[in-house]
Amino acid sequence: MVSITTGGKIYIIITNIFLFLVALIMILPLINVAAVSFTTDIESYENVIKLFPREPSIVGYKVLFERIAFFIPLTNNAIVAVVGTFFHVLFCCMAGYVLLSEKLPGKTLLFVLVLIPMMIPFQFIMIPFYVTMKKLGLIDTLSSLIITDIVTTFSILLIRNYFQQVPRSLAEAARMDGASDFTIFFRVYLPLAVPGLVTITIFEFVLRWNQFLPAVLFINSPEKYTLQIALRSLIVSQELTGTAQSNVANNTRMAGIIVSIIPLIIIYLLFQKYFKKGIVLGAVKE
Amino acid sequence: MRKQMNFVRKLKQTKMLYLMILPSLLYFSIFIYFSIVNGTIISFQNFRFVGKSEFVGLKNYLEVFSTPGFWRVFKNTVILSSGNIILTALVPMALALFINEISFSLWKRFLQTVVYLPYLFSWVVVGGIWIFLLSPDVGFINVFRTLLGMNPIYFLAKEAYARSILIGVNLWKQAGFVCILYLASIAGINPELYEAAMIDGAGGFKKTLYITIPQLLDTLKIVLLLNVMGAFKLFDQVYVMRNEVIAQKVDVLMYYVYIKGLEEFKMGYAAAISVVIFISTLILTLIIKRVIKYSV
Repeated sequence: MVSITTGGKIYIIITNIFLFLVALIMILPLINVAAVSFTTDIESYENVIKLFPREPSIVGYKVLFERIAFFIPLTNNAIVAVVGTFFHVLFCCMAGYVLLSEKLPGKTLLFVLVLIPMMIPFQFIMIPFYVTMKKLGLIDTLSSLIITDIVTTFSILLIRNYFQQVPRSLAEAARMDGASDFTIFFRVYLPLAVPGLVTITIFEFVLRWNQFLPAVLFINSPEKYTLQIALRSLIVSQELTGTAQSNVANNTRMAGIIVSIIPLIIIYLLFQKYFKKGIVLGAVKE
Repeated sequence: MRKQMNFVRKLKQTKMLYLMILPSLLYFSIFIYFSIVNGTIISFQNFRFVGKSEFVGLKNYLEVFSTPGFWRVFKNTVILSSGNIILTALVPMALALFINEISFSLWKRFLQTVVYLPYLFSWVVVGGIWIFLLSPDVGFINVFRTLLGMNPIYFLAKEAYARSILIGVNLWKQAGFVCILYLASIAGINPELYEAAMIDGAGGFKKTLYITIPQLLDTLKIVLLLNVMGAFKLFDQVYVMRNEVIAQKVDVLMYYVYIKGLEEFKMGYAAAISVVIFISTLILTLIIKRVIKYSV
């Protein structure tokens, strides 16, 4: 349609070269980590840029699961993530539905009560939060991690946004037929807001899978370790901090990283468009 | 009679709605609101888990402002956050503008995917990857330096590099997230603007300069605001990537609160810092909102 000038061509070429470099910076580290995870102990200490293992081996993964018993933190993490996400989605959806109804007495107050916590990051209240958990006898339990952020303003507002797109007439019709709010919520709103449900479910699952600070605060015993704290003691450089298991080879460390990111990558590739939608909606909300 | 039935139904309805929002209210009251109140109380106390905690007035606050340790981590937080705020607002914008120029859709999708990936990973994973890549013997970057005939450097044990590394790795992790925001708002720009520019004879670069970038300013404001609100929250990355050698340069406020409160058990002191930070963030957010005239 429009002929591209020489200047335009150069501009496009430079753009592509730049983006190619960006792609390399993003992806080479991951390939390197993956390659090292599949090396033998000795090879994992080799002084070369490794993008492919010379002698592919799964010894790193074997050590990870057999000697280090990585499946324990992995299981704990899965429990916390799945149970936590389930109740998070349920509670937030219910709250989002309630904040939709127009004639509820005290609704303004409810709204304010729900909105304020958004301004208070967990980090700022970690000391009193810890004290409360301790008073409730929940320190060093997986329940403490499930309870933390079991509802968030962010998710409530996000799902409310999706609920708002459900035609009001449908709810009215159901109410005429004598349906209670609970029924309307489950039978009308949830089925019609499935994209919203998917969005907050995957977001919350990823957050919980990666949950770190609460685990650092509340969990002490190794058999209760969740993935992130187990991984930290596995990979953080031992000579400077003195905390990591020092007799673990690089291949095992990198295997730990790969094992913890594979579920995330799968979820991301499956639900890519929901991630995009959620990010944009979320940013506008805040 | 009918009116009464309506009233009863209404009451039942209200009760059910309150019941549905109860879990949220319970969590917020017990864990958030109570924490705010209790945190403020603890900050005025010599807090003990066993026995009675006595009130000590402003002692904790005075201690906060008079300890060099606090001012050191405060300075570190401000430096690291400023770097993070500026870079993660501007670099992804450039990235989004470049990605937007790509017409080959598979390449475009691939780029978006790989740029976003690290955002999904925890700080333990990202920190772990970069600790490995920056290590003196097997790390990618030092292998490269050796190939070029340079001596390997133990990057994470050099105070001079510590902050830049943390800011750079933060950019690596967060860029994709912000980039998606910019790409979304580029996609929302009215195509007529470009058509008009084309009729006026504007090329690709001019269109970007005079149409796309001005249209992205609103998103830039949102990104800046989000970044500022998160400035003092910095914890995970530092907890994972710090070590004793670079501690003086990278330890941040929330890490300090954690150490004071939960390792040294100076709960009152740690709570006082949190209160100070909370108030500072509120003020900072209000100022930024005023400055960029951002209205919700």
